[in-house]
Amino acid sequence: MTGYLVFEIRRILRDAKFLLFAVALPVGLYLLMADRFIDQGAPAAYVMGGVAAFGAVKTALDVGARTAVERGIGWQRQLRLTPLSGGGYLLAKASVAMVVALPPVAGVSLVAALVSGVHLSAGGWALAVLGVWAGAVPFALLGLLIGQFATAQNLQAYQGAVVLVLSFVGGLFIPVSTFPQALATVAKVLPSYWLAQVGHATAPGQAALVLALYTLVLGAAVAARYRLGTARA
Amino acid sequence: MDIHEGAPALSVAGLRKTYGENRAVDGIDLVVGRGEVVALLGPNGAGKSTTIDMLVGLARPDAGEIMLFGVSPREAVRRGMVGVMPQEGALLDDVTVGETVTLIASLHRTSIPVEEALRRAGVAGLADRRAARLSGGQRQRVRFAMALVPGPDLLVLDEPTAAMDVEARHEFWQSMHAFAETGRTVLFSTHYLEEAEAYADRVVLMRAGRVAADGPVSAVGALGLEDAFLRLTGASETVR
Repeated sequence: MTGYLVFEIRRILRDAKFLLFAVALPVGLYLLMADRFIDQGAPAAYVMGGVAAFGAVKTALDVGARTAVERGIGWQRQLRLTPLSGGGYLLAKASVAMVVALPPVAGVSLVAALVSGVHLSAGGWALAVLGVWAGAVPFALLGLLIGQFATAQNLQAYQGAVVLVLSFVGGLFIPVSTFPQALATVAKVLPSYWLAQVGHATAPGQAALVLALYTLVLGAAVAARYRLGTARA
Repeated sequence: MDIHEGAPALSVAGLRKTYGENRAVDGIDLVVGRGEVVALLGPNGAGKSTTIDMLVGLARPDAGEIMLFGVSPREAVRRGMVGVMPQEGALLDDVTVGETVTLIASLHRTSIPVEEALRRAGVAGLADRRAARLSGGQRQRVRFAMALVPGPDLLVLDEPTAAMDVEARHEFWQSMHAFAETGRTVLFSTHYLEEAEAYADRVVLMRAGRVAADGPVSAVGALGLEDAFLRLTGASETVR
């Protein structure tokens, strides 16, 4: 498995465009939002938490979902002719998603500290950076699940819709407290809502529990779907 | 392998696979001894690819038993005993030929040197080229290198020359022949009669998911294989 993981990490590190965009998008969004909302009284740390969570969600999802392309061209088939197990492949892909999910979170935090002068305790930073990053695991798995369903053609549409719903309805940009009651209820079902709780340092304990639950459920779904897909082939 | 010293390279009994209404493979029995070079011949839709997918563990049979060197297909793949060139199966465009074959080698417990696999497949000069910039025939030969690199005892090739021009085809068969010369086993599918005639010791003719004929090339070849092919696909008899 390690051999495959190293191979995949080398591949993604070579994709400069993807990496740059993964960091530039949330950092740009943070600067834009900080400029508007902080004047209106929102604490910079609050904006930072939500946007960092967005960066982690989008990047982790993207990496996982891109497996749809590899499935489409027959690469997964090729790998099944080697000793690499399905589980090993999925684990390597999820790990790569996690490696790439860290820079956007760190980037947003760094810019928030430097530009907006966000001050946190050591524990506060650990939660804001490492906590949000670790919380991206279920999103990496969700991306892999999308990758098992989508084709290279409809991938963008699926992924775009999922990211949009997760970030807006999950309250990564607009506080859920300002939502109408019904929408706020929906928000609380989404894993992104709970990742935002980590980012905002509001209910990290409960959030960790919910995200761990999502990890278990999505992990089982990805494994089951992968087994089904290979059995049918 | 140690405990299955005498097992044939391949043994198949009662193999069946149905896709919806279509009986793709409808009862196949086949034994391939070690060192044989066997052509799986038949028109499109005869069930060749489905059979091969099941032989190497890419598809699950509805019924029947498959053993490669006395173990299951998946186990044979895990031990690197079988090298496979599936018909569909691809290369990653952003990765070089050398990196791809190195990866496959690293996933197996044992392998031959990557340079040797590239050389034997005739793509030694392409190691630094990304797959996006390969021709169809070159891609096929890279995939042949991927099949060779675990150092398998059995090669299974599904229409290996499909995307190749005449010259590439000639070079490919020379590589395949060199592999078979070392006493190892090859099973390849084709719908080119002349390929079966020129490169196989034995021809297994498939038609409508069944084995229509199975015999040494010499026996079939005496009549002229093309004639035999037409006759046998019509008459479903065994020449052996």
